[in-house]
Amino acid sequence: MDNRGKFITRWLVILAVLALIAAACGGDDDESTETTAGDDDGGTTETTAAPADETFVLGVSNTLVGNAWREQMICAIKAEARARGNVSEVVLQNRNTDVAGQIADIQTLISQGVDAIIINPADRSALDDVIAEADAQGIPVISVDAPVTAPQAYFVSNNQVEYGEVGARWLFEALGGEGKVAYMRGLDGHPADTDRDTGWDAALADYPGIEVVYENWTGWDPSQGAQQALEILTSMEVDGIWTSGIDYSVVEQFEVAGVDYVPVVGADNNAFIEQLMTVEDLSGAGVSNPPSIGGVGAAVALDILEGKDVAKETLLTPVVLDTMEELEAVFVPDLTAGWSSYMVIEPYVSYTSPQDVIDCKGPGE
Amino acid sequence: MTALGRETLVSGSQAPWRRWARRHGWTIGVWVLLLALIAYYATLIPRFGAFQVASIVNNGSPLVFLAVAQAIIVIAGGIDLGVGGMLVLTSVTAARLMEGQPLVVGLVVAVAIIFAAGAINAGVGWIINVSKVPDIVITLGSLYFFQGLALAILPNPAGGANEWFRWLFTGSKTGIGSNPWPAIVMITITVTAIGWWLGKTRQGLSLYAVGSNKTAAYLSGLNAARVKVLSYAIGGGFAAMAGLANTAIAGRGNANTVGGNLTLNSVAAIVLGGVALTGGIGSVIAVVPAGLILFFLSPILTAMGVDPNSAQVVQGVLIVLVMMVTGIIEWRRRLRS
Repeated sequence: MDNRGKFITRWLVILAVLALIAAACGGDDDESTETTAGDDDGGTTETTAAPADETFVLGVSNTLVGNAWREQMICAIKAEARARGNVSEVVLQNRNTDVAGQIADIQTLISQGVDAIIINPADRSALDDVIAEADAQGIPVISVDAPVTAPQAYFVSNNQVEYGEVGARWLFEALGGEGKVAYMRGLDGHPADTDRDTGWDAALADYPGIEVVYENWTGWDPSQGAQQALEILTSMEVDGIWTSGIDYSVVEQFEVAGVDYVPVVGADNNAFIEQLMTVEDLSGAGVSNPPSIGGVGAAVALDILEGKDVAKETLLTPVVLDTMEELEAVFVPDLTAGWSSYMVIEPYVSYTSPQDVIDCKGPGE
Repeated sequence: MTALGRETLVSGSQAPWRRWARRHGWTIGVWVLLLALIAYYATLIPRFGAFQVASIVNNGSPLVFLAVAQAIIVIAGGIDLGVGGMLVLTSVTAARLMEGQPLVVGLVVAVAIIFAAGAINAGVGWIINVSKVPDIVITLGSLYFFQGLALAILPNPAGGANEWFRWLFTGSKTGIGSNPWPAIVMITITVTAIGWWLGKTRQGLSLYAVGSNKTAAYLSGLNAARVKVLSYAIGGGFAAMAGLANTAIAGRGNANTVGGNLTLNSVAAIVLGGVALTGGIGSVIAVVPAGLILFFLSPILTAMGVDPNSAQVVQGVLIVLVMMVTGIIEWRRRLRS
C-alpha cells in the first residue's frame, strides 16, 4: 500500500504541475484565436460604428521589455488596432531575448495564425529567412523602428540616420564647433543604433574641432545610462553630451555629481522635455523619435490587409525641439517617466488623442 | 535508458512493468506533461502541423542541449553557472569560423569547438578541485569570462553558417521550415548515447556515486577529482552543442545573448526534469522534455493571450513547486527507512 501511495503521489505531482501552468495563465481558454473571415469572436468592442466585413489578428514581436519606448510603441499598436475597429486581437510576443529568440517568436506568431506581423527587429539581416517564411505563408511583415534586409518586409520608421545627424549637428553648433563630447549610444548591434552612428559620423566629419572623449552603449537602459553619465561627469571633462534617447536620467546626474550643466542632446522623452523647460542653466535639444511609430506600423499592416496600395517604406523625418514654444507644444503633463510626448502621428494613425495610447488597450481589452 | 531515476532503490515483488513504471515515474511524467501541453497548444491555435512541431523542436533544442550539459554536471555533484556563457562563446566562435565555408569545414570546426569547449570546461573543473572554492563561485567567474571572451571574438552580431550545417540542426537550409527530424535525430542520438554511458558504464555510474556521496565514493576507490573534471568536460561539450544549434538557428553569432539567463533556464529545466540539485540523482532522458517544456511556455502563454513575460513567473513558481514536492518525497522516503 505504501509503495502504491508513493506511485500515486508522483502522478499527482505531475497533475499539480499541469494545473499550476493552466492556473497561472488565467485560463481564458474561450479567447482562442480561431478567427476566420467574418468571425467576430468573443469580445466585441464598442469602438467603431459599422463592423467591418473582415476582422484581422495582428502579431507583434518585441525583444526588449521594461523599456518605456518599446512599451509605448506597443501601446500605440494597440491603440491603432482598436481605433480601426476591424482587429479582433493583438497577439504579443513580448520578452527580452536575442535574434535566435526573435526568430522563434516570429515562428510562434506564424504558428498561431496571425494575419500580419509587426516587429521591432533585433538584427538587420538575421531575420530575413523567417520573414521570407511568413511571406510565403501570406503574412506580411512590417518592420518598425529599424530596417531589415528582407525584400518582402515593409519598413516604418523614424529616419534614424537623420536622427543621429541633426542632433549631432545641433550639439556641435552649440559648442561652436570646438570641444570634447561624450557619445552615449543605444543598443549595440541594433540597426537603429548603427544608422544613428552613420548620421553621427556624417556630422562629425564637418566639425574637426570636436573630440569624442567617450563612446559607449547604454543598451537604451535609463539606469545604465545614468551610471555611465555619472562616470563621465565625475572622471572627465566634457563640453557636451549626445545621448541616444537616454536623456532625462543623464541630466539628473549633473546634480548628483555636483557639476555644471553642459549641453545635452536627447530624444522627445516627456521627462527630458520637462527638464529642458524647467531646469535652469540646462541647454539642450530633443530630437523627435516617437515610439508611437508603432501605431503607424499597425496602420500600414491594416492597410495592406485591407488591400490598399501601400509604399514599402514609410519614413518620418525627425524634428529638433529646442525653443520654449516647441517644447511647450509637445509636453504632456503627468505622463509616465520615459514616455515620449509626441503620440498622434498625423496623417497616419486613426486614433485621435494621446489618451488612446496612454490607456494602452487593444481590441476587446 | 536505465538512468538512475529517483526510485532506483525501490525493491519489492511487483509486476515487472510496475517496477519499471515506478523506477521511471518522473521521466514518464515529464514526457506526458510535454505531450499534454502540446495537445493543449494544438487546440489553442488554428492549425497544428509539421511547421509548429518543427518550430518547437528546433528552437527548443539549444535549451535541451544546455539542460543536458547542466544535468551531467549536477548529477556528479557540481553546478555550472558558466554553461550559458559557454553557449554564447561557442556560438559566436562557430559563426565567425564557419562563415562562407563549405559543409566539410563547418563540420570540422563544429567538432573542434565541441572538443575545445570540453577541454576548457575540464579546466574549470580542475580549478574547482585545486582551489577547493565552491563550484558556484568558480563557474560564476567562468560565466563572465566566457561572455566577455565572446564579445571580444565578435563585438557586433556577425558571422554565418553553412546552409547544410543549419539543416543538420533545423531541418532547413534557412533555419526555418517544417522538418523537425534532423533536430529530433540529433537530440535522440546524443542524449541516448550519454544516457547509456551514464547508466550502464562503470565510468558513467561513477558520476552518480561521487554525486550522491563524495566521501563514500572516495573510500570505495573512486577518484572524485577526476570524476568532477570528466563531468565538466562532457558538460562543456554539450554546452557547445547548444551553441552550435543556436548558430544554426540564427545563421549568425550574437555575443549580446545573455548567457546568465540561459544558465538559469538550464537549471530550471533540470529541476523540472527531476535531477536533484544535491547530486547523484536524475536522468538525462527526463531533462529533454523538461527543456522543451520550458521553451514551450512562451508560445503557449502567447496563444492563451497572456504576456509571455509571465512565463518567467510560471517558471519561477514551477521551480519552487518541484523543489518542494521532491523535498517531500525525499522526506517521506527517509521517514520510512
